[in-house]
Amino acid sequence: MGRPTHLSDADVEQFGAELDALRDEVMKSLGKDDARYIYRVLNTQRFSEVAGRALLFAGILPPAWLAGTALLSLSKILENMEIGHNAMHGQWDWMQDPALDSATYDWDNTCPGREWKHSHNYMHHTYTNIVGMDRDVGYSILRMSEDQKWNPAFLFQPFYVLALAAFFQWGVALHDLEWERVGKDKSYAEALSQGRDIWRKVRRQVLKDYVLFPVLAGPMAPFVFSGNMVANFNRNVWSFLIIFCGHFTEEAEMFRIEETENETQGEWYLRQMLASSNVNGSVPFHVLTGHLGYQIEHHLFPDMPSNRYREIGPKIQAIAERYNLNYNTGPFSKQLGGVAKRILRMALPHRRKRKGPMPSSIHHERPAAKTQAQRRTRTNGSAATAAAH
Amino acid sequence: MKPIVRKVLKSSLAKSLTTPLSVDHYLGLIDSKLSVNEPRGRIADVQRQTPDSVTLTIAPNDNWITPRPGQHILFGIDLDGVRHRRCFSIASAARNDRVEITVKRNGDGVVSNFLVDRAKAGQLVYLSHPEGEFYPNVEPPAKALLLSAGSGITPVMSILRSWIDQDCLPDVVFMHYASTDEDMIYTDELDALADAHASLSLVIRYTQEHGRIDGDTLDREMHELGERMTWLCGPSGFMDAAESLLDARTTKPIFREQFEASRREAAQGEGEVHFIKSDVAASGDEGSLLEVAENAGLNPPYGCRMGICHSCKCRVSEGTVRDLRNNEVREIRDTDIQICIHAAAGDVALEI
Repeated sequence: MGRPTHLSDADVEQFGAELDALRDEVMKSLGKDDARYIYRVLNTQRFSEVAGRALLFAGILPPAWLAGTALLSLSKILENMEIGHNAMHGQWDWMQDPALDSATYDWDNTCPGREWKHSHNYMHHTYTNIVGMDRDVGYSILRMSEDQKWNPAFLFQPFYVLALAAFFQWGVALHDLEWERVGKDKSYAEALSQGRDIWRKVRRQVLKDYVLFPVLAGPMAPFVFSGNMVANFNRNVWSFLIIFCGHFTEEAEMFRIEETENETQGEWYLRQMLASSNVNGSVPFHVLTGHLGYQIEHHLFPDMPSNRYREIGPKIQAIAERYNLNYNTGPFSKQLGGVAKRILRMALPHRRKRKGPMPSSIHHERPAAKTQAQRRTRTNGSAATAAAH
Repeated sequence: MKPIVRKVLKSSLAKSLTTPLSVDHYLGLIDSKLSVNEPRGRIADVQRQTPDSVTLTIAPNDNWITPRPGQHILFGIDLDGVRHRRCFSIASAARNDRVEITVKRNGDGVVSNFLVDRAKAGQLVYLSHPEGEFYPNVEPPAKALLLSAGSGITPVMSILRSWIDQDCLPDVVFMHYASTDEDMIYTDELDALADAHASLSLVIRYTQEHGRIDGDTLDREMHELGERMTWLCGPSGFMDAAESLLDARTTKPIFREQFEASRREAAQGEGEVHFIKSDVAASGDEGSLLEVAENAGLNPPYGCRMGICHSCKCRVSEGTVRDLRNNEVREIRDTDIQICIHAAAGDVALEI
């Protein structure tokens, strides 16, 4: 809840400097091993997609249908999580390969990449777990924090959650319309033009999975159709689970806008660490989550190539321990249990319990406000001075 | 690729089946040289004619378009996981189905050093469509001068080979300045061509021995200079000197191909650069706008970094920029510029 009171301003600054140093070290060492890794993932994804779709064409045979659906699910999960999500964060821009360029990459998902980069990269990653700013907190339909006002509709949120999990890509696609703002500080015209972009993307996705491939399969159409539907469903549920484990576990902290005004770089890192939660697992598990099992590392350094999160995880944990900060991690079952508990608890009305006084951070005199711009302008050189705007 | 296969792969059905990726992404599973649109190729042969240069023969895929003589390409290669792109002149005859380029070691240049020391047959390379106006659509003249220095020999070599290839070789003087005879490339081939074609005469000068280009040498070595159309390529100092000497001696057209970055020693700017999409601001004091962006931790696409390839083109919402090639300052709004050859000359808002 806000900044932990046991750290002084100097401590927080030192904490930020250590993280900056770690980031610079990794970013300087990017090279051919990282490229080999991502190309291997790309090839695996494409191969499993081709093989999966081919097997579904023989989907009348149950083993072929099962294997085809499994491979297509694998492909969609890899593409959305380890490739698309991370490429659109700019993790692979240093390679200068147009196929992985964050400016042009679009993923196999009904949410247009451009929309997602706004709601996710900008709003969610900048204002992580700040109630009222980070629209991922509850996706405007769930109550995930005591600071969200309760109303009786939230009593049914356990059911909404199940629906959201099943149709997660659709939820994400509609998410950026910010319909609760429309007619207030967002014009209908803007929402309409976004709506058109979403519709264009949705049309292409639906045409591919539910019309063209089934039609091409001729008599096998029902098997292809169902296989595609199940693969999309699997991907939806999987990404929903991973994403909810990232910020809504029991110990993940929520913040209020006033607690985060005039944040310094160190404080921003601190919030990212406290608002995120990791999931322990094997290497294949992490690859399938797009390394979002390392949610803390991802939130500290969203544009660092994901394969490096595994390498820095223990170092981040060591830093957290030294500063006596909670490095929220645990097995999938524990984290998922925490998410379920939060969803159930927040369905009922009650308010945030304060632990001690308001955090000191917001009352102190701080150096001039740091903007997000400054934060990203962490550089190797003197040339890059920051500007508030 | 068979035309029918190509037609299918280029169809809107193929596009719809592979959306939001493209057919190329899947062709890569078979061979990364395959593509429905992009020219790519593999290095087929590597010749090291001098210690500091390498001549690469590239076998392009079906998307390669026959160039005009003297054109250049943007050549891309992956080194340590990063795609690097550089401009090189095509040295081969236009209609050749292989593409030949010669690369000279360029200081600490990552690409040139790699190619000179370690290029191997079989390596995948990315090509662009050929570009350049060195050889406009003109009928071969009756008399011509091909005048080059250093690595400027490559585009004039292409012109010479194209004329021979198409059996329309005019009366040509091929004059080249290399620094020493050790640095001279294409020696054997030029000698053989001169033996075979009476209308081709060679004038090879070594600057360490004979000095730089001057009027006396031109007057002495060149007959009928006033009647020759000239194709001129080399370092900028050489080209400037040669052009003023030629201007005093001929009224026939002179075609220039300037290849070396004519960019200044160190780019200086002033003002604040605001990268709108990334929401980052940085001082524009040091370096080109591309360098400012990179120093601020951004990764905008780029290619040749010398104003040729337009890969780095991006939109300025508004601002004052200086063109580093001629120091011209412009105030612009909603305009695309090449950020590798522009610096800030005041506050600039870039859509990166």
